[in-house]
Amino acid sequence: MGANHRGAESTWGALAGTVTLGVLSGGLYLLLYLYEEQLELVANLIRQGQKGYVVIPIGIALVFSFVHGAFTGRFWDILGLKARK
Amino acid sequence: MEAVGFIDMTASSTFILFLVGFVGGMVSGFIGSGGAFVLTPAMMTMGVPAIVAVASNMAHKFPKALVGAYKRNKYGQVDIKLGIVMGIFAELGVLIGKNVMVDIRAIFGATGTNLYVSFVFVVVLAIVGGIVLKDGLKEKKGSLDAKKSPGHKVPPLALKVRQIVIPGTMIHFKSIDAKISFLVLAPLGMATGMLAATIAVGGFIGVPAMMYFVGLPALMASATELVIAFVMGLGGSVLYALEGAVDIRLSMIILAGSLFGIQIGAIGTTYVKDYVVKFVMAAIMLLVLVSRFFYIPGYLSQLGRIDPIDEGTIRLLNGIGEGALGFALVFGAVMILHALYQGIREHRRELAAQPETAAIDAATARPLTAMMAFERFLVASDTSEFSAAAVREALGLARKCDARLQVVSLVASGLEYGGAGNPVLKEELAMAQSHLDGIRQQAVAQGVVCDTQVIHGQIVDQEIVTAAERSRTDLIVMGRRGRRGLARMMLGHATARVIGKASCNVLVVPRAARIEGRHIVLATDGSRHADRAILATGQLAQKCKTPVSVVSVIDGEESREQRNKAETIVQRAVDYLRSQGIHAEGAVRSGRPDGEIIELVRRKGADLVVVGSHGLTGLERILVGSTTERILNGTATAVFVVKGG
Repeated sequence: MGANHRGAESTWGALAGTVTLGVLSGGLYLLLYLYEEQLELVANLIRQGQKGYVVIPIGIALVFSFVHGAFTGRFWDILGLKARK
Repeated sequence: MEAVGFIDMTASSTFILFLVGFVGGMVSGFIGSGGAFVLTPAMMTMGVPAIVAVASNMAHKFPKALVGAYKRNKYGQVDIKLGIVMGIFAELGVLIGKNVMVDIRAIFGATGTNLYVSFVFVVVLAIVGGIVLKDGLKEKKGSLDAKKSPGHKVPPLALKVRQIVIPGTMIHFKSIDAKISFLVLAPLGMATGMLAATIAVGGFIGVPAMMYFVGLPALMASATELVIAFVMGLGGSVLYALEGAVDIRLSMIILAGSLFGIQIGAIGTTYVKDYVVKFVMAAIMLLVLVSRFFYIPGYLSQLGRIDPIDEGTIRLLNGIGEGALGFALVFGAVMILHALYQGIREHRRELAAQPETAAIDAATARPLTAMMAFERFLVASDTSEFSAAAVREALGLARKCDARLQVVSLVASGLEYGGAGNPVLKEELAMAQSHLDGIRQQAVAQGVVCDTQVIHGQIVDQEIVTAAERSRTDLIVMGRRGRRGLARMMLGHATARVIGKASCNVLVVPRAARIEGRHIVLATDGSRHADRAILATGQLAQKCKTPVSVVSVIDGEESREQRNKAETIVQRAVDYLRSQGIHAEGAVRSGRPDGEIIELVRRKGADLVVVGSHGLTGLERILVGSTTERILNGTATAVFVVKGG
């Protein structure tokens, strides 16, 4: 009984973690969509010599990769798609 | 410099980019190559200028390489020094490669860079695709299998390279335990970087260079390549971003699809034969080659380098190019999904045919007595030094308790295999099995019954817990990989996560710990978790004839009432242990629980700490903290964590 309860807890925990990461990831993509024009402007400003703005695309790449990477890493696992043992 | 045009992001172009990223990721995970050789031409076909396609591709790749390198370093597969040295030279190569692109663009315009990138693609894919196809054909005939030897042999070229001694330039690399002149590594690194800056796939040169020139096994070469990919990818992305050529919207949409696809591809490799992977890889490479080839006449005509070709013919040739690329993408996706579908069906049939022992629940199968079972131990081991102590102590404890030992070795799949693929996974599985065979021999020599199993999955701690529950384990024995500060907060402590999730007890053995039966420190706070810790301590102390110090720590400002309560709790434990014939003494201390417990361990020269687990996980653990985890981080002594039951 105890182990069953714990098993259920860990599955729900993994699901909750995946959903949280999914929501975070979705939020980031929503921001990307909303600020699309500003991002194009940033590239133009960099081209015009304001090189400091380069941290924006690099930072975005890092943050998206970590959050979305963590989400997709768990996504297929939760759906039961696993490597052959 | 001519203005760099970004494409308009419409719903359909976003969807196509996501799909291209997904298929590219799938191909990347399946064939063990960057996948960028599909993505760059696909973006170019959609009208993205070559320089933006390469730059945006790099920007989506370098953080993936960072995550991959970090994860595979945990398994001891990365030669960081070699990766950094090669990465620095690769960076130089990227700088040269980027300048070549920028100069071509300045002189010949966007068409010039399109021609240059297409030409390099055709040459590189013809060479690499041809080699892969030849390898696949040989492997299908079985000649490679017959030649395969169990161990890694240093290629003759690498032996010659190691003999080149140029004073003042020699660097020792731990992975090969040999010195190599950095002047030899310089051209290899630079060629890798130049190729990466041109077609965004440096690995085509980097991995074979490390295998054949340096003598690194395929597994380590592909893992070390991730360090190079990160160093040069970061540098390259910054350099291209400074030109305003990184379209980060494009990069991130490609990333979104790619990260979904890469998992499917990597999992797919575990269901098919090696030569199938190579055939798919060669077919996709050759199709992409054909696709780029058909664009070249148009570019040459636009640049006036050949007799003008009429617009209709150029459109026809470009159409054939687009068709070939589309076919390559669809072909790759269908092959991989088909392999995965067939494999999963077959695997499910195999599982259905197995007896249902795994379904027996751990708790219902275990007798409900006050006594704890010490009959089945599970030890998680990899080839690293972190787990060697866990294996040693698990063997010792299993011998004393006459327990059955199950040793599992983890082969983790996931993002880090984006640049590795099937041959690497297979090599890692073989290495894990050979490592387990070695432990089984040790167990047999010590008279311990031992089973071994390679486990394979994404979430490492979850896989350990699942394996423990399936085999009805009483005790998980683990090594400890400490993480501190921000890394611990962000990534958590794998051992702590196992403690949080497991329903059985967990013994954590740091690298230097030896359980010799000198002294046990038992921490108690009167909770039901602590009560079970008292029972477990009684059993262990009896088996090992070890004296015990019971301690209860009052946290914060103490009151007389608190102290009296703590003294009663301690006395109760001491009385119980003495009733079992164990030499026991008790103490109540005041201060930070983990600090006081660790100090007592040091003073008593104890070789084991026993604590009850409150099992905090996730956000709760980060916010509230966990005394058990702080003890784990703060002591070099083994810690026995007893679950509340």
